Amino acid sequence: MKKKHFSTIYLVFVFLLLYIPIFYLIFYSFNKGGDMNHFTGFTWQHYAELFADKRMIIIVLNTLLVALLSSLIATLVGTMGAIGISARRQRKVKSALLTLNNVLMVSPDVIIGASFLILFTALGISLGFGSVLISHIAFSIPIVVLLVLPKVNEMDSSLINAAMDLGATRWQTFSRVIVPFIAPGIFSGFFMAFTYSLDDFAVTFFVTGNGFATLAVEIYSRARQGISLEINALSAVMFVFALILVVGYYFIEQYSQSRRHKKKSGKATLGTEVMLP
Amino acid sequence: MVKPIIELKNITKRYDDGFTALENINMTIEPGKFYSLLGPSGSGKTTILRIIAGFTDATEGTVIFEDQKINDLPANRRKVNTVFQNYALFPHMDVFDNVAFGLTLKKKPVKEIRERVLNALKTVQLPGYANREISELSGGQQQRVAIARAIVNEPKVLLLDEPLSALDMKLRKDMQYELRELQQRLKITFIFVTHDQEEALAMSDEIFVMNDGKVLQSGTPVDIYDEPINHFVANFIGESNIVPGKMIDDFQVEFVGKTFECADAGMRHGEKVEVVLRPEDLDITKPEQGKLVVEVDTQLFRGDHFEIVGYDEDGNEWLIHSTNPVRDGKKIGLTFEPEDIHVMRFGEKEADFDARLEQYEED
Repeated sequence: MKKKHFSTIYLVFVFLLLYIPIFYLIFYSFNKGGDMNHFTGFTWQHYAELFADKRMIIIVLNTLLVALLSSLIATLVGTMGAIGISARRQRKVKSALLTLNNVLMVSPDVIIGASFLILFTALGISLGFGSVLISHIAFSIPIVVLLVLPKVNEMDSSLINAAMDLGATRWQTFSRVIVPFIAPGIFSGFFMAFTYSLDDFAVTFFVTGNGFATLAVEIYSRARQGISLEINALSAVMFVFALILVVGYYFIEQYSQSRRHKKKSGKATLGTEVMLP
Repeated sequence: MVKPIIELKNITKRYDDGFTALENINMTIEPGKFYSLLGPSGSGKTTILRIIAGFTDATEGTVIFEDQKINDLPANRRKVNTVFQNYALFPHMDVFDNVAFGLTLKKKPVKEIRERVLNALKTVQLPGYANREISELSGGQQQRVAIARAIVNEPKVLLLDEPLSALDMKLRKDMQYELRELQQRLKITFIFVTHDQEEALAMSDEIFVMNDGKVLQSGTPVDIYDEPINHFVANFIGESNIVPGKMIDDFQVEFVGKTFECADAGMRHGEKVEVVLRPEDLDITKPEQGKLVVEVDTQLFRGDHFEIVGYDEDGNEWLIHSTNPVRDGKKIGLTFEPEDIHVMRFGEKEADFDARLEQYEED
């Protein structure tokens, strides 16, 4: 009983610690006074400013575009990579490839960002949307590989043989057997890559150049110029957006499960009907 | 003579690391028969199946299917289908979609697919299971779905890779009957891989006994059981008493110090041989009437018979199957007919063995 008490207190404490700063930020986004010291009154003013700020809206859209494109491409490349790594026969080659992949995962963003900057400068690629996209794709691929690989390994090679045996071409085997089987891995890889791209500051900071910015970089530079409660408003909007995403994901999950169930029971009645002479 | 449907000619399979999985395999498969490839694990029987199915290439030799060389034909264009050891059902599809997979790829009309799939499910006694998820099925049901998925494509040859090995004893026996019955009804060729000699004996028209990548003997179950070519086959198929002996003359063999009349001939006089006596061919009598006298060591009750182990004066072990029990430690006599004795030469090749058998059986 005492133990249970302790664990509840512990959980409450941890979650308070995690959420208090965010709620503090959101709370002051409604502050009439221009700072975060004294709450002087309620206002929507900072939100109005935010939505009137064209530059900010463009940056948000750019950020989403980069995240979407980079995670899509990274998912494609990473899935192929996972299948490729898994298909290597020699153990040594396999683990070497996997290690190379994991090194990219653990190496600090700053180093990746700096090395990209050097690369782009050396190749004469101008910094901007393209350079950010390329670097986001690059750091997302290892994440996708890492999330897809377990599903690929889980798949028995006899499934592929079975598909071929039943007359499937290589492409049909890939699209009808391999992809559906590893789909959960692909989805989680995609979502993880998407959030990594949205989140990223360090790598992006190196390769944005002038005139192009993502949200993380923009917030950082504005915060350095001095406190603007517009940032708070933006954070609040993003927090709500994230909340909606999570809730939405939950409902999609529920929906697809119930649909699966429905499909099954629906078909079942069909089956009995067929059985009648 | 019936035209063969599959011929393997001088098939050798060698892996990159130098391991030879198959050595000079020759096989002729006739349509409509039930064949078994029987051997211990690692004997190369599954490799033969994989070569016929097209999952792996033969290093040397020719695979012929209906007079066409198919070595380079990819698996998806061969007119054979496989039932895999672990079933290899697609977990993301339900039973119907699994069975329909092959037909869907061939772009058959929806109505035809539906009809054929439901028919195939009826054939394997799973009507009404079309909409189940694979994970909801028991091992035996998955087995049936795997068979339905293969036969719905109406293959000329069905390859079965130890399909019953994961089932429990009772279900396995039932499936043996069903598979045999299915094969006779569909009249397609079955090539069945197994390490279970009972299974092979019960179901097959013809058995290929394999070991170490070679076919040791092929023939009907009765032929192989009654006239095993060598020690390995005699031991692997059924239980046997194998003792060293010497050929005195045609139809006369000496073992355990006595000369017996036998039904084998065509060997050199005085040639060292091995003599096989099946435990069920040994009859127990009084010691003074027995051709052999053994002292009973142990006996086990096996339900339908007693399994008795005894030793003769020279210390040879004898296994006897008897419907009546004996007393431990008692001396008993054993009798047998000349036809019960089977003589095996050392290192005789199958072709020579068959030729010799033919030669003296004609006389």
